[in-house]
Amino acid sequence: MKRIGLLLALAACGDPGPAEEAGPSGPPTVHVVSYPLRYFAERIGGEEVRVVFPAIEGDPAFWKPDGDAIAAFQKADLILLNGAGYASWVRHASLPESKCVDTSEAFAKDFIRIEDALAHAHGPTGKHAHGGIAFTTWLDPEQAIAQAQAIQVALLRRWPEGGFEHRFAALRADLLELARRLEAVIPKGPGVASHPVYQYMARRYAMNLRSVHWEPDEAPGADGWAELKAILKEHPARWMLWEGEPLAETARKLAELGVKSIVFDPCGNTPGEGDFLTVMNQNVTALAAAE
Amino acid sequence: MSDSLYLAWRYMRHHRIKTAILVASITLIVFLPAGLQVMVSRTAEQLGARARSTPLIVGRKGSALELALNSLYFESKSPDAMRMTQAARIRDTGLARAIPLHVRFRTRKQPIVGTTLDYFAFRGLRVEQGRQMALLGECVAGADAARALGASPGDSVVSAPENIFDLAGVYPLKMRVVGVLARTFSPDDDAVFVDVKTAWVIEGLAHGHAALKEGEILSRKGGTPVANASVVQYTEITPQNIDGFHFHGDPGEFPVTAILAVPHDAKGKALLMGRYLGRDEVCQIVEPVTVMDDLIATVAKVRSYVVAVVVLVSSSTLVSAALVFLLSLRLRRREMETMSKIGCSRWNVSSLLACEILIVIALSVGLAAGLALVTNVYGPSLIREFIL
Repeated sequence: MKRIGLLLALAACGDPGPAEEAGPSGPPTVHVVSYPLRYFAERIGGEEVRVVFPAIEGDPAFWKPDGDAIAAFQKADLILLNGAGYASWVRHASLPESKCVDTSEAFAKDFIRIEDALAHAHGPTGKHAHGGIAFTTWLDPEQAIAQAQAIQVALLRRWPEGGFEHRFAALRADLLELARRLEAVIPKGPGVASHPVYQYMARRYAMNLRSVHWEPDEAPGADGWAELKAILKEHPARWMLWEGEPLAETARKLAELGVKSIVFDPCGNTPGEGDFLTVMNQNVTALAAAE
Repeated sequence: MSDSLYLAWRYMRHHRIKTAILVASITLIVFLPAGLQVMVSRTAEQLGARARSTPLIVGRKGSALELALNSLYFESKSPDAMRMTQAARIRDTGLARAIPLHVRFRTRKQPIVGTTLDYFAFRGLRVEQGRQMALLGECVAGADAARALGASPGDSVVSAPENIFDLAGVYPLKMRVVGVLARTFSPDDDAVFVDVKTAWVIEGLAHGHAALKEGEILSRKGGTPVANASVVQYTEITPQNIDGFHFHGDPGEFPVTAILAVPHDAKGKALLMGRYLGRDEVCQIVEPVTVMDDLIATVAKVRSYVVAVVVLVSSSTLVSAALVFLLSLRLRRREMETMSKIGCSRWNVSSLLACEILIVIALSVGLAAGLALVTNVYGPSLIREFIL
């Protein structure tokens, strides 16, 4: 009996902990650089792969991993990149090319180029600029489907025996349904984005959108308000898209200017609750409520 | 018999110079053909092994031998560069994996090999100390390179300028050694490996500098500022300045010296080779094993000429050695008469002379065998160092 107790105690000590700590004997690992890719890979890969998306504080697009974090990526069986310049750390990192898959390569010719990007700072990641190419590709559901398809192809190429096709079909159906619902609730007329991250969605749904560089948890300074007022003079926006719930004071001041605040979370990082589709459905609900 | 051996040994010790000349002559006669054979065989074996483990090399049209030697042994002159897009071209065929190589720079005498992590998997290289390179500006050293540079994880090495008289040339880059590879007894042991992007930084195609001030901008070309020479470039990549490093141009257009193509199967290899037969093709695809076989065949041909000469020289040397013995017999006539007078039989005198010859031959064969052993170990590297 004593021996059984000891064995149980040893077994408890040997708990591998979170999925990231599992040994090499488990399913093949797929490392991803953003939460949408994690969601797509988990939906398509099911139990047959272990998807790893590191816990990142702030926007994964501007994450700065150290050598050890990159070493974890190097050990993956497959690395899913968003492409379009997302996760700028990839440019400076040594990753095994044969394991990397650029999920947006199929529509690279349609990338939106940003001219004269303004460098700005917020949060723990420090100064950054949304320059070069717009990278929130997944906010256009058609592009999200193309990225999911790239994942399915990559998984099938490596593990042909996996049942990935039917799971991709289910995900595709969900994304098409999301696209249909989104199209029905897109606000008409000019609008403003608090951050330049909605370009692909705006192009897909022909939204008349201009951007400022405001953060939901920071009060825009006098310059920020002056910039918005200047925009409103030539672009009479009646709504503003936010990545998160704006400060009450900011929302109130916007309302005084006749601009309604709508939270549309791009969901680049792991949401506190729910999953990618839950968050996108909340976004749809928020847009519908604003009409 | 032991008495004869003892007397022969004492005699030879007394006539050291004559014995040494005889031993040296016979050693050379035995060693030259044997050593040549060992050296050629070992070189062929080593060259062949490395070549056989590398299915195909794609490079700019030019000397196939230069391309193979530079890509396999990181020696010889750098072949003309080609664009990195050639790697994508190979990958897009779906016939092979593509591993780019950028072998142009050195840190002291060690070659800096710019490549991707796929190279390590392909060659079976394992990091013994530290970790694999992960960021721009990091490098891992081969076992012998680490020893030669006195570098271990945490130390730094600096790239050497291509030409010391080119004052306006590329800045040397200080690179952090993050790992040392396990010894593989191959040219990889002598190299310092960096990411191909780091090699481009050394070449000056990517660089980092502090944000430009208005006074430092000479002009703007299509939105791209052109700065004056007062802008100081970073000569080391650190976590603090890594974001300031940027590529000027499309990395797909950047140069590599070769691409190792690893076909998925024999059919893929044949099809891929067929893609490079066009007249307008600017690149060539070579089978290293074929290139090395040609080289080894040339070396073997040279060897047969050398052996013929050696046989002639050896014959004349043997005749000379025989003459030396006969003359020494004439000179030693009184010595032999004395030996007879003190009671030595003709058999004793003959066995004494036979022992002298035996000792000379044994010493010579022993020395020649030792030299052949040394040749076996160092011969291939000497050939690579001084001939290839």
